[in-house]
Amino acid sequence: MKKLTKEQIDKALKILRMPEDSKLVTHLNACVHCGLCATSCVYFLTMKEDKYVPARKVELVASLYRRYCTLTGKIIPKLVNARELDEKMAEEMIDLLYGACTICGRCVKHCSIGVDIAYVVKVGRQMLAAMDLVPPSLQSTVDAALNTGNNMGITTEEFTDTIQWMEEELIDEMQDENARIPLDEKNKNILYTLNPREPKFFPLSISAMAKIFYAAKESWTLSTSMYDVTNYGYYSGKNEHAAIIAKKLYDEVKKLNTNTLVLGECGHGSRSTRWEGPNYLSTEYDFTTLTVVEIINDYIRSSRIKLDKTIINEKVTIHDPCNLVRNGGLLNEIRFAVKSAVADVVEMDPYGNDNFCCGGGGGQLAMSEYNERRLNIGAIKAEQIRKTKATIVVTPCHNCIDQLTQLNHHYKLNIKIKSIAEIVADALVVEN
Amino acid sequence: MCIIALMTHFIRLIYLGKPKDYSRKSGNVTKAVAYSATVAMIDHKESAYLHIPTYFAGMIYHIGTFVSFLLLLFFFINMILQITLPQWVVWVLIAGLSLSALCGFSLLIKRAVNKPMRSLSNADDFISNLLVSLFQLASVAYLLCSCKELSYYLSATILLLYMPVGKLKHLVYFFAARYHLGFFYGWRNVWPPKKPLQ
Repeated sequence: MKKLTKEQIDKALKILRMPEDSKLVTHLNACVHCGLCATSCVYFLTMKEDKYVPARKVELVASLYRRYCTLTGKIIPKLVNARELDEKMAEEMIDLLYGACTICGRCVKHCSIGVDIAYVVKVGRQMLAAMDLVPPSLQSTVDAALNTGNNMGITTEEFTDTIQWMEEELIDEMQDENARIPLDEKNKNILYTLNPREPKFFPLSISAMAKIFYAAKESWTLSTSMYDVTNYGYYSGKNEHAAIIAKKLYDEVKKLNTNTLVLGECGHGSRSTRWEGPNYLSTEYDFTTLTVVEIINDYIRSSRIKLDKTIINEKVTIHDPCNLVRNGGLLNEIRFAVKSAVADVVEMDPYGNDNFCCGGGGGQLAMSEYNERRLNIGAIKAEQIRKTKATIVVTPCHNCIDQLTQLNHHYKLNIKIKSIAEIVADALVVEN
Repeated sequence: MCIIALMTHFIRLIYLGKPKDYSRKSGNVTKAVAYSATVAMIDHKESAYLHIPTYFAGMIYHIGTFVSFLLLLFFFINMILQITLPQWVVWVLIAGLSLSALCGFSLLIKRAVNKPMRSLSNADDFISNLLVSLFQLASVAYLLCSCKELSYYLSATILLLYMPVGKLKHLVYFFAARYHLGFFYGWRNVWPPKKPLQ
């Protein structure tokens, strides 16, 4: 690593020196180093190395805080392990804060004190981002979104072709020439967003959702210029970038004059748009933001769509995306949707708010340099799935779907992985 | 000095204020904060049920610490009031604080012996634990014999002077952390937890 300049260090330390509120100061002073968080972390549980204890990640940021922002740390740094921000420290931070944390927040819920470890890790990432030390692979994903409007750099032509192809499939399946996947239409009730993995690798999940919208007779549209629900600026720690991406989506809602933004099946995308987006922009959104799961449940509850539980005869289990369940409150919404579509649902152990991360969160799927670790920590999820004896795993997150697909191959699980829209579409009874 | 220093930390937290959240609230923050400060400390918490001996040792140790401070406060006030504690109360305090000090020393030994915990620890962790445990032990000795008055007040003074320096100031930050956690989960309708749909 190149020697850090004074300017880089100052930019990073500014984040610690000028806290916006009491949250950061609280969490940096609250950890008592009991180490009990270790057994809640997929990294420590699978790799058993001391450096993966979540409190160690907090300690990296807290030790800098003590060194530069407290009297004890300035006078007797050794007493409280107050460390200098130098190249060695920065390398350690990159390795542990980017490469060994999915920001799943499982350790937070189980911390004996209540330290928001995931939040502190994110602050550490912000410091690294301020020094331009975001791993290049993750930064290139952010750059793609900034430059092209989606994180996979899909051209408008390619996207439009895929949607037209899916529309033809929908017309065939519904046997209705009027079945449509609308593009860039103004004044619709819903602007629907996607994870770019869908048009790129999983177009059937788009047609599944289109089928649901068709059955519900919904007034909706996709945008060709800003359909990407993801925001990797959230994971890179560069809030300026996250804000630009959030603003693009906000502007698209305004441009198309819609009153509901429906967030495609992506955990961090939903989180960064619904919970973080308004904060990036310091704006209260004057439109409704809903996840796919909630809109589908609304259709089920209001009988706008009908499902037949006897269609799917396989055992199904649910993987809880951390950003939607533990950090998003959708525990029962996901269960309502799946249990409305499937008769035989079995839970993982543990499940819900305590479920383990699949290993693909925190931007891990975008950082190829940590692929080996990512597959290693997935061993816990693979074992959870195997124990359920389910043949289908449902999860409303394409990031998780990608990781589960790789785990399926790596650990030979022999399962099918589906999104919520896909499982609901499979059970859908369409009356023309 | 100790109280002023800790109050400074507390006032700074109040001055900095809670985070402004522009997103649309989905749950009940008040109920979540109440849950965070109470039931969440034991409800389905791995740091509790996966580590039963450590968890209970920690609980006893912290209760003992609060009792020791209350006792110190009582001794100060009693310089004026001159009340004599009933003998049974004295013996309950001696038994409780002995157990608490034992838990404190056990945790100290665990920190020194357990590899992941040792690697996580700094000098302050050991000093803080030692000072609190010694203070509890000195409380027991003083309750047993008034001749230990000097060592008791000396241990109390050292502890109080050290408190704002190191991690013992989590006395203030613990409650703030529980608040922030309750706020975060409450805003998003995660806490108080819902019964999973069967």
